[in-house]
Amino acid sequence: MTITVCHLYPDLLNLYGDRGNIIAFTQRCRWRGIPVRIMEANLGDQVQFEDYDFLFIGGGSDREQGLMAEDLTARVNNLRSAVEDGLVVLAICGGYQLMGKYYRMPDGTEIPGLGLMEHYTEAGDTRLISNVVVEAELGGIKTRLVGFENHGGRTFLNGIQPLGKVLHGGGNNGFDGTEGARYRNVFCSYLHGPLLPKNPALTDLLITLSLQRRGQDHRLEPLDDNFEKRANQAMVEKLLGKKS
Amino acid sequence: MNLRLILAVIVGRLAMLASRLTGRGRGSSLPGKLALRIYPDILNHYRDQPRKGVIMVTGTNGKTTTNNMLMGILEQAGHKVVANLEGANLMTGVVTAFIRSGSITGRVSSDYAVLEVDEAVFPLVLGWIKPDMVVVTNFFRDQLDRYGELDTTVKKVLKALKKLTGDVKLILNGDDPLVARLAVESGLTALFYGILPVQELSAGASYSREAKFCPLCGAGLHYGIYIYSQLGDYSCPGCGFVRPNPDLEASAVLEEETGIRAMVRGTDGHWEVRLPVRGIHNLYNAMAAFSASLSLQVDPQTALASLGKYLPATGRMESFRYNNRRVLLNLVKNPTGFNRALFALLGNQGAPKQEVLIAINDNDADGRDISWLWDVDFEMLALHPEKFSRFVCSGQRAEDMALRLKYAGVPVWMVDIEKEYRQAVDKVLNGKGESVGILATYTALWPVEKILSRQAERVKDHDDYSLSPVS
Ligand SMILES: [Zn+2]
Repeated sequence: MTITVCHLYPDLLNLYGDRGNIIAFTQRCRWRGIPVRIMEANLGDQVQFEDYDFLFIGGGSDREQGLMAEDLTARVNNLRSAVEDGLVVLAICGGYQLMGKYYRMPDGTEIPGLGLMEHYTEAGDTRLISNVVVEAELGGIKTRLVGFENHGGRTFLNGIQPLGKVLHGGGNNGFDGTEGARYRNVFCSYLHGPLLPKNPALTDLLITLSLQRRGQDHRLEPLDDNFEKRANQAMVEKLLGKKS
Repeated sequence: MNLRLILAVIVGRLAMLASRLTGRGRGSSLPGKLALRIYPDILNHYRDQPRKGVIMVTGTNGKTTTNNMLMGILEQAGHKVVANLEGANLMTGVVTAFIRSGSITGRVSSDYAVLEVDEAVFPLVLGWIKPDMVVVTNFFRDQLDRYGELDTTVKKVLKALKKLTGDVKLILNGDDPLVARLAVESGLTALFYGILPVQELSAGASYSREAKFCPLCGAGLHYGIYIYSQLGDYSCPGCGFVRPNPDLEASAVLEEETGIRAMVRGTDGHWEVRLPVRGIHNLYNAMAAFSASLSLQVDPQTALASLGKYLPATGRMESFRYNNRRVLLNLVKNPTGFNRALFALLGNQGAPKQEVLIAINDNDADGRDISWLWDVDFEMLALHPEKFSRFVCSGQRAEDMALRLKYAGVPVWMVDIEKEYRQAVDKVLNGKGESVGILATYTALWPVEKILSRQAERVKDHDDYSLSPVS
């Protein structure tokens, strides 16, 4: 089968090398001979979310995020049923915040999110900007995810599961030691850099889940991940020291 | 007599001398830093001294080149000029420029100050010195972690401009909607320069476009044509914001081995511009400098003569020769500039096989967030494997660079990770390539240049372009 990737609003949300996540996902499919195609959905396009296998939502500047929220709210029911049905989603930064209940501004006004997940976000008075290492359990295996965060919002999970535990950096709110969020097959994170190229275990989990949702339950062929490991390890050592 | 000023100047001068004697660094920001510490108000003293005016050049790319071109033109026209020449474009670099050009007692005998100012510190510098003219080159995404978003940077520049009074003149790149908006929103007098959108120059420009939406009303911008990135012929269906009619416009652009030339039409005539450096981005820089000089009443022929012998500043397309191979060194700092540098590597048909060194650092001056590497179109390299023999990745983020090339489709056997600059430079100089291209971020550039200049011969004039290819 062909895996269909949907890059949501690439015109609006293209901060921080987001495109790298799409490149990593599709290349790792192609290198294994899994056919993959990329669809771009922009404002006002007709979208049936259940037709896709992997949905990517990135971050944008405030105004662009507002436009995206408006457009997505109009089709939230379609998106919700796809998510409940197991659609694989990666939402980064602004996309992550949008999946939750609301974003509260410094003056107290709340910008409603899509409410697909329980987390909420409040504006902070400083930006969390740093290289980050997160310890996460992916498919039962402990993995260290690395990336770069740059966000003003403080996200609180409100009962949902985090993506992992912060070993270095601010994470969701610089306070409770969590980073990102998971719900069904939705993965959220503040990490860009971008996230997927240097964290192939996560990329491969997303590919596996996309295949499983279509009833294809086989193990992915291993790839030569020498460069991936070196890039990941270099950052882990830089932040946590050689011994790690 | 102001003793604090004299002390600040002396300490700054000593720091300059020390860095020259030890050969360490270029002494372009430390003198200003020390002087500011001794005398924080030092710019109050200097700001009114240039007799004919203060010109500031800001924007994302091309500041240094534009500034140097404009300084060259003004000097050719017989003016005395104070300028910060080495890309030292923060407060400290501006102060250094004045200290260097002035006397011990702080007298600066000059006609103009031509100051390259970083777009993020522009509002701060404007708090000390009121310019008579501001040149804005373009706004691209650059070092996000330092500046927040591009939006914010543009808004801050706009806010600073709005505080200036009406006798300030803006020289703006009309092809960039993010720059052209400054005229509409500040209400200041502006002259626009641009390139006539008649030719297909825009290959591979799609991904690093910054302005898909109207900066004034948010509607999707329509483009007749892109020159590159978001530069082009745009119009807004929402509010009617369009590319302004340029006061100075280049057409019939011709890229040659030895440089670039074009016809330029102004309000009072038309001329041929010939530049000894390549790349459409350098034509934009020359147009900015030419516009500014015309507005300062410099004779056009004088300006064109100066542009015709322009020599690039450090790292911006510097040439070396090693064992009969051409070595090109280039600074890279954001997707748009990096794409231009890759285009230059891909060069003409029949170019010899190249060894490429890419050195990426993530110090503050480089930008700590290197995500932008994923917005560079390295995919174009994988389309032309026959043009390259190897890619050596170096610097603090060598592994990330190698990974980016892998995902762009460059075969991993063509990619080496060599974190030490010395070994990396040795590899590319002595590799299988018939020519060498070196691309480095800001803090990787100087160490690489130093190693390179010890082994390879610097080509000062442009006779290397006239060498026939070795192949
Ligand atoms: Zn508009």
